[in-house]
Amino acid sequence: MTSLPEKQNKKLGLVIDLDICVGCHACAVNCKEWNTSGHSSPLHDIDPYGDDPTGVWFNRIHTFEVESEINGSKTVHFPKSCLHCSDAPCVTVCPTGASYKREEDGIVLVNPETCIGCKLCSWSCPYGAREYDEEAGIMKKCTLCVDKIYNENIPESDRVPACVSTCPAGARSFGDLGDENSDIFKLVEERNGYDLMPEQDCLPTNKYLPPREKNNQFKNDALNSITNDNDFSFDTWKEIVEDASK
Amino acid sequence: MHPSKSIIFFTVMSGTGYGIIICLSFLALIAEINFSYGLKLSLILISFLFITLGLLSSTLHLGHPERAWRSFSQWRSSWLSREGLAAVLTYIPLMLFYLLWFLEMDIFKYFLYSASILSVITIYCTGQMYASLKTVPAWNNVYVTPIYLINGLSIGSLSIYCLTRFYEYEIQHLYQFTLLSLALCLMLKIIYWFHIRTKSTSSINTAIGLGKDNKVSFFEGPHTGKNFLTTEMINKIKKEKANFLRLCFIILSCVLPIYMIVQEATLIIDAFILKLSFFITLVFALIGMLIERYLFFIQAKHVVSLYYGENKV
Ligand code: SF4
Ligand code: SF4
Ligand code: SF4
Repeated sequence: MTSLPEKQNKKLGLVIDLDICVGCHACAVNCKEWNTSGHSSPLHDIDPYGDDPTGVWFNRIHTFEVESEINGSKTVHFPKSCLHCSDAPCVTVCPTGASYKREEDGIVLVNPETCIGCKLCSWSCPYGAREYDEEAGIMKKCTLCVDKIYNENIPESDRVPACVSTCPAGARSFGDLGDENSDIFKLVEERNGYDLMPEQDCLPTNKYLPPREKNNQFKNDALNSITNDNDFSFDTWKEIVEDASK
Repeated sequence: MHPSKSIIFFTVMSGTGYGIIICLSFLALIAEINFSYGLKLSLILISFLFITLGLLSSTLHLGHPERAWRSFSQWRSSWLSREGLAAVLTYIPLMLFYLLWFLEMDIFKYFLYSASILSVITIYCTGQMYASLKTVPAWNNVYVTPIYLINGLSIGSLSIYCLTRFYEYEIQHLYQFTLLSLALCLMLKIIYWFHIRTKSTSSINTAIGLGKDNKVSFFEGPHTGKNFLTTEMINKIKKEKANFLRLCFIILSCVLPIYMIVQEATLIIDAFILKLSFFITLVFALIGMLIERYLFFIQAKHVVSLYYGENKV
């Protein structure tokens, strides 16, 4: 059914901490690794060793520069996969019912048996989370590792998405964002987690945590201990350097 | 957006076929449309072929054309599903109209009217499919659906007009009707081109979400090569080229046909040359429509481009 479920018992999703992510691409690689033999297998590559390789990836890491008066310039690594939206346009536009959102946990999936590969769902997703598999002729996407998080053949501690378990920095958390008592919900509250492109009205489940404010006090203390001068602040030092470079 | 050949061909061809049917029903409302057999047969053949070839080509871009029938199921939520359903339903009254019109049975009119209503619905669904995509601001506006309708109508009535020149046949009111729809088509498109210059509320700031007190700029993409998103959703055209193509559309699909229709009497005297020039006019107008549809896609920016270096869409 391409209508959205009336109610959602759970809202499983990811929280991505932009303060922690170091842009190592490990989550993207492990996502490919897990999923190429999972629910949506195989994730085809075209011309993988040639001049112009492309392929199906459910998770990609972009990088942006964020500048501000107070914090100066910062490089922000920005992983992006399906946000398992509550009001998912990719579900309602689907003409076949292949694209659906599960009532029990809110995961958005594609039925590979009925998808006709019209690509309309990929046009309707603001986040670029859908991946057309040219070779298979059907649409694929992040499954929230549905075949891992419920998998009873693996130890319970491993039952989290592949991207989450592999992140060496711990920048990705997984849990029920619909449950106000869950750790992940509290984390979002505490760190002012936010939605991407709220104006698109998709009500994404996944949240992003902004980089923490930089603390210049630390630099001042460090400088002071070198110069033994309490009035010698980071800004004084910056002025000296700027004057010298003129 | 990627200008897929099969979608461009489909929307122009089917649009023309449906336009012929809609125009015929308007004419039937105000006058008798019992034409000569030759003209009837040509109209039947052309509208049927255009609609059918268009629809067939639309399945070509699917990953699994053999599953296309599944797309009739989700009409409750999906404009694409509604479009497919309406397109198939149109065939029922359409075939009956063809038959009864050819046999000169008067009840043909009722089937013509119902076929034309369903044709309008089909084009409306096509338009709405694009117009309801919030992700593509150049499509998400009130002009897109009327443009689809009026484009179909103008080229449809032009097709009938050209055929009447070919068969040396006069149809009452067709002259005014064609001129009016051609002029409307041009007007609406120009308004649309002005409209899409305004930027949407989505920007790199809302896409990354850190733009409140910061300046956000693109540093690097996820990889150095292309991917599905960049080939399907991020396509560019140079401004000069786009402007040239817009001019081509204006001349080929609007100005040239209007000029030919208005100036016909003073322009050409030789009967054969007249037939030939109207045939060429129609071919040019169709080419113009294909160009317009190409621009409709290539000039539409998708918000996902904000993750790939674009600051505004
Ligand atoms: S991120 Fe895109 S693909 Fe995922 S649920 Fe939202 S709209 Fe659908
Ligand atoms: S590509 Fe498949 S899942 Fe996406 S809208 Fe078309 S049929 Fe539905
Ligand atoms: S949840 Fe699974 S499928 Fe989704 S991005 Fe992470 S690893 Fe990939």
